[in-house]
Amino acid sequence: MEKSIKKYFPVFVLPTMLAFVLGFIAPFALGIYLSFCKFTTVTDARWVGFQNYLKAFQDTEFYHALWYTVLFTAVSVILINVLAFTVAMLLTKGIKGTNLFRTVFFMPNLIGGIILGYIWQLLLNGVLAQYGKTLTFSSTYGFWGLVILVCWQQVGYMMIIYISGIQNIPGELIEAAKIDGANARQLLRHVTLPMVMPSITICTFLTLTNGFKLFDQNLALTNGAPSNMSELIAMNIYRTFYGRPGYEGVGQAKAVIFFVLVGIIALVQNRLTRTKEVQQ
Amino acid sequence: MKARKAKHGWLLTLIFSVISVLYMYPIVLVFINSFKKKAYISRYPFKIPKGNMFVGWENYIRGLEKTGFFDAFLWTLFITVCSVALIVVCCSMCAWYISRVKTLSTKIIYVLCLFAMVVPFQMEMYTLSKIANMLKLDNPWGLIIIYLGFGAGLAVFMFTGFVKAIPIEIEEASMIDGCTPLQCYFKVVFPIMKPTCITVAILDAMWIWNDYLLPVLVLDTKKYKTISIAIQYLKGGYGSIDMGAMMGVLVLSIIPIIVFYLFCQRYIIEGVAAGAVKG
Amino acid sequence: MKFKKVFAMLMTATMLTSMLAGCGGSTENEDKETPKKESSEAKGDKEKGGDGKVYYLNFKPEQADQWVELAKTYTDETGVEVEVQTAAAGTYESTLKSEMAKDEPPTLFQVNGPVGLASWKDYCYDLSDSQIYKDVSSDDYVLKDGDAVQGIAYVIETYGLIYNKALLNKYFELPDAEIKSIDELNNFEALKKVADGIQKNKDELGVSGAFTSAGMDASSDWRFKTHLANLPVYYEYKEDGITSSEAIKGTYLENFKNVWDLYLKDSTCEPSMISSKTGEDAASEFALGEAVFYQNGTWAYNDIKDMEVADEDMGMLPIYIGAEGEENQGLCTGSENYWCVNKKASEEDIQATLDFLTWVVESDEGRDMLANEMGFITPFKTFDEYLPENPLVKANDEYAKAGKTPVSWNFTTMPSEEWKNKVGSAMLEYAQGTGEWDAVKAAFVDGWASEYEAAHAE
Repeated sequence: MEKSIKKYFPVFVLPTMLAFVLGFIAPFALGIYLSFCKFTTVTDARWVGFQNYLKAFQDTEFYHALWYTVLFTAVSVILINVLAFTVAMLLTKGIKGTNLFRTVFFMPNLIGGIILGYIWQLLLNGVLAQYGKTLTFSSTYGFWGLVILVCWQQVGYMMIIYISGIQNIPGELIEAAKIDGANARQLLRHVTLPMVMPSITICTFLTLTNGFKLFDQNLALTNGAPSNMSELIAMNIYRTFYGRPGYEGVGQAKAVIFFVLVGIIALVQNRLTRTKEVQQ
Repeated sequence: MKARKAKHGWLLTLIFSVISVLYMYPIVLVFINSFKKKAYISRYPFKIPKGNMFVGWENYIRGLEKTGFFDAFLWTLFITVCSVALIVVCCSMCAWYISRVKTLSTKIIYVLCLFAMVVPFQMEMYTLSKIANMLKLDNPWGLIIIYLGFGAGLAVFMFTGFVKAIPIEIEEASMIDGCTPLQCYFKVVFPIMKPTCITVAILDAMWIWNDYLLPVLVLDTKKYKTISIAIQYLKGGYGSIDMGAMMGVLVLSIIPIIVFYLFCQRYIIEGVAAGAVKG
Repeated sequence: MKFKKVFAMLMTATMLTSMLAGCGGSTENEDKETPKKESSEAKGDKEKGGDGKVYYLNFKPEQADQWVELAKTYTDETGVEVEVQTAAAGTYESTLKSEMAKDEPPTLFQVNGPVGLASWKDYCYDLSDSQIYKDVSSDDYVLKDGDAVQGIAYVIETYGLIYNKALLNKYFELPDAEIKSIDELNNFEALKKVADGIQKNKDELGVSGAFTSAGMDASSDWRFKTHLANLPVYYEYKEDGITSSEAIKGTYLENFKNVWDLYLKDSTCEPSMISSKTGEDAASEFALGEAVFYQNGTWAYNDIKDMEVADEDMGMLPIYIGAEGEENQGLCTGSENYWCVNKKASEEDIQATLDFLTWVVESDEGRDMLANEMGFITPFKTFDEYLPENPLVKANDEYAKAGKTPVSWNFTTMPSEEWKNKVGSAMLEYAQGTGEWDAVKAAFVDGWASEYEAAHAE
């Protein structure tokens, strides 16, 4: 059978592969190359070695954006997951209106980042104005504004995943634990949590990558103000590329650094997932 | 025991009702402000538009004019629907092939797809927009091809995960009956894969519909705008952010999403849950 | 267990996919596609009218709609396709950069002065033989590289302190007013007295502050980081007898601080709010009569006309910063809008672009649009009968007639956008109280040297 399928390579694989090479592989390879060049358009690239990387590492705003992103990601991962899990637990108790609540909590997910940003800019600036402050007063306000925004957006999504995880726990297991005299807390710690571990890993992974790659919301909510202090890494790279003539190469170098960073995180995450799966 | 639980449930329902109302408040707020005169929006966002604050449909009309919203909406719809259809068909075929034919090259393709899921978009954005422009892909049709390339990683990965679970015997039986691989695929395999197709379609549709950076960099924005681009372009020059038009357009762009969601919410929610299990 | 679930989902899912595929897949798109195709075909027909095409990347968003209209008029008249695209606020450089890399680059673009020209020199067609160069009244309004004319200004603009005459007169009549007439208001001391006086009596005057909010949102902070910062640069150049510098000394930074402090103190809002205030907010405050002074230029007339403040109540004062001899200072006049024709465009396109420009400055439609609709003062000789009905422009004429020295636009020599952004950020931090004035100084003086070096490193 394998042989007869093999002949159909052009039909089955080629279209996807062509698009993949065009949309992914080629830009990626060219991106790596250009990170070692000085250029304003692709055609006038000139090799400069590691100069771009040196400049990137000398850029204090880059470090700030990096640190800000790590902090933001950590806070948002924890908050989103704790909230989503709590809501999921409560919404699997079979209370009235469960379906309606699920519908409501999930909805913000479908709204695009740019739109979300402007919605929350209106609301949060309105609230802060009562205290004579605005979102862009300092990076702290921008930080929490962004955290609130992503919580609002993503809690519903993660909640859905947790709910399906919780519902997959066999009822007999919980009954057995109850018969053994486990109280609610013990039940949570020793039965529910271990059983939804796969969901936790997935949600952590999703929130982690969402946090690191966040751009649209950042752009619409604060646009990095004040003084680029509320700027996440993705936006810092974008601004280096398009905001400053002569720094395209540095932007590309930052992008490569960012890629390596995300790669390492993904690998570590993958390792952790595997060890957890073995345990089960 | 039973009585206690019911009482507890009643309380929870009440609490969640309150939270749900609060949860919808930001959207309601935008809706209210969309009827306010633009000079008052950022100054009194919480006031109900009455008297000379109220402008009727003016903000909507101006918003539609300024952004070319209808065109943007249709282009976004066109791009999303076509890209998703293309991704589902092409990537599922590709996934089936690489799980059934075990050679070095298929293994490499699989690894590359995994790899693609990790690479952040910033890595690609500049070069991608240049390549797209050089090959004249800076239009909605070209963008669809780019989305296929960009979405291939996740889609192929998810489909291969599912194909592994399909018993190979069914396919063998159909091939012995004289089906070509293509017939076998569309008659036997593809129907079995439909749940995964839905999942992939939903995840990709959510992504593509709302995407901002990729289309803004790739598309020739003189001619084509998506909804996200149109909204961002409202933040015009020299300090003039027309808050009125902004509110109107925000409402207009949220409404279709909500309507679609209310009709298809079960499938969307199940699709997301299923997607997580695979991913 | 899991398998069962998958199977159950499969059943419902199958139905849904067929539904989705049925309605979403094909029929809808076809409907939507048809109108688009038609319009592009229609465009194709028009292209036959001329060989070349014009693509103008416009810098001034205030006049975006008028340019599109003018382009349409030209296309209707001649059949030559003219496309106008306007970059969003603060993104002109990056838009130009990405558009230039495309295979249909702008044939007509703008630079903001010598600094902007430096990065686009290779793209500038020599305009010395063009008709529009012959129409320019003076070489002051062109950018040259040797003998080659690389850019031609198409609008001359003026900025200063726009003020509300009615409100100011009301203040002059107050019993405790220290300044009694507009003639005495000709230096920083007097301005400060007036502003403080208005602020003190704001309830009586029915305003919420002397100055409109100093909006420092990224879309609007150019009013201060660029236009206000021009004054210390101007006086330093004047004192040293130079027209550009690779290292600014910051001689007049103390004056800069004083005027910035004044803007912040006698304002309609708390300094902690200005980070998200925009120029639009300031314009509406002025237009609704909530503030007396509004620092902006002749171009702002469109935003403030036909509201609460009548045209005859609008005036414009020079921005006084307390420099020696400022009694004779006029308004800040200059241009940061120079037309450049893309040398790398095809010959037909270049010719089409030159024809278009000639038409803009010589035809009745073009002149009417520029002067009356866009409200431009232009440096072209052809515009003698076309002067815009703009009270702010008239204010400038009065100063010129009174023999005051206009302040030149030296901000075109500021080393880079990055420099302006850094200065703006430091000014904002200082205003909010989250930063020190020393940071502004550092960004101004040290930043100038390092940015100049970076820009000229090649």
